[in-house]
Amino acid sequence: MNRFAALLGKETRALFTSSVAYVVLAAFLLIMGYSFSLTLFLTHTPSLVHVFFQIYVLFLLTVPVITMRTLAEERRQRTLELLLTAPVTEAQVVVAKYLASLGLIALMLALSSVYALLLGLFGAPEWGPIVSGYVGLLLLGAGLVGVGVFTSALAANQVVAALVSLSLFLLFWIIDQFGYLLPDPYNALVTNLSLSVHFKPFATGSVYLSDAGFFISMALLGNLLAVRALGRR
Amino acid sequence: MDPIIVADRLGKSYGPRVALRDVSFAIAPGEVIGLLGPNGSGKSTLLRILAGYLPPSVGQVRLAGLDVVREAFAVHQRIGYVPEDAPLYDGMRVAEFLRFMARIKGLRQVAAARAVGAAIEALSLGAMREAPIFRLSRGYRQRVAIAQALLGDPPVLLLDEPTNALDAFQVIGVRELISGFAGRRTVIVASHVLAEIGRMATRTMMLVDGRLLTQDAMALAAAAAPRLRVRAAGSVEAVRACLAAVAGVREVELAADGSFRVAAAPRPGLEPDLAAALVGAGFALSELAPEAADLEAVFLDLTRARRAAA
Repeated sequence: MNRFAALLGKETRALFTSSVAYVVLAAFLLIMGYSFSLTLFLTHTPSLVHVFFQIYVLFLLTVPVITMRTLAEERRQRTLELLLTAPVTEAQVVVAKYLASLGLIALMLALSSVYALLLGLFGAPEWGPIVSGYVGLLLLGAGLVGVGVFTSALAANQVVAALVSLSLFLLFWIIDQFGYLLPDPYNALVTNLSLSVHFKPFATGSVYLSDAGFFISMALLGNLLAVRALGRR
Repeated sequence: MDPIIVADRLGKSYGPRVALRDVSFAIAPGEVIGLLGPNGSGKSTLLRILAGYLPPSVGQVRLAGLDVVREAFAVHQRIGYVPEDAPLYDGMRVAEFLRFMARIKGLRQVAAARAVGAAIEALSLGAMREAPIFRLSRGYRQRVAIAQALLGDPPVLLLDEPTNALDAFQVIGVRELISGFAGRRTVIVASHVLAEIGRMATRTMMLVDGRLLTQDAMALAAAAAPRLRVRAAGSVEAVRACLAAVAGVREVELAADGSFRVAAAPRPGLEPDLAAALVGAGFALSELAPEAADLEAVFLDLTRARRAAA
């Protein structure tokens, strides 16, 4: 536990001593602040559904930037050799990086909760969809970070890692559009791979275990494959 | 005493390229082993396998009785490893990095702080304690890398070119540190610098083109035909002919400093005969002395013989 705490501390410090975390946070808050106020003034409705969909798209774009350096940078600087010849397991290394990145996602969500507080102070929002939206975003983030850490484990270059995970996210964002065109039963199979299909219910207030399971599976698979990728050297 | 490291017919290939071939050896606890070889001879690959970072393609290594592939975690608890070129976390400060390494080696807060203090002291890093690692010179980086290997007091140290980029004073410091481990820790030091290895190792292994050519180069050097240094005034060719005529002399070379190197089959009375021959022929003899066992000569002979055979 002591070792894992040291790894997690190091990853968190690395994230917050580089400029990446601050740039991502600043861009996120700027765009979301603008979007929240604009939507509120135009619709006069105390709801965050629009905001959740915008955060969803922003996550697809920012998670690759957050996770790209996790393992690719260790590989490039050859510090992986130092880390993996110390008495820590590959799983500890991967999970520490995963949780540190997920921590930044959680921080972004925590900061955006100001919007919900404002709605609560000055209006009477329905809290159910707001809570389910945040749960959905956290689960989405957990899945995306898993895939991001995995692509970083494969690449020796962070830009390549970011581009690969970004391409995967964009593909699985719109894959349901192709899914509908396919014959039965392939349509259901492909459509169910879509991030949008599994996120939409959360944003609109419905929580299904299958959607949560989809994002949790993504997170677990990403971590597992990253551990396997580190083992292969 | 049981050996602490045993390598059995190790081989490693990267695709079609063979980096190590049929390497077997045993190392007793407390030995300081110099691993000598030209660049690209497989030294780093061998150390990475011993450190449990790379799995061997064939063969097996046991360290303290543990299989380095299957029991990697337990092996990692017993080694301190300095990889080639001293990779470090550039974003950290020296003490912060050492504290992190101490903690992932399993030391608790107080023990970690004590170990970091001792390592900083041993490598004279006090002035750089709070310096960011990306600002350090190559020499300091190397010392920080050695310092992290000492944390947790591991019984086995694997050091890949630890004196690279150090200046003469630092080299002496590191050499003394490593020689001081003899008898207390088992150390393998890889280097391509002959002089370095000769001074700190208790035994020298030579690796050329992925093959282990000898497990004890110093014994080979000591057993090799003695060479004598001879300085005499007179025409080079005449002196050479005079020396070559003495019974047992196999080769006479003119060294850069104007003296002669005489290789001869060992026999009693060789030196007096050489002196008598020169003085008898009228050359003024000013020096005749045995040369120290020469690691360089063994290294060159073995490398040339290996490359000629290949």
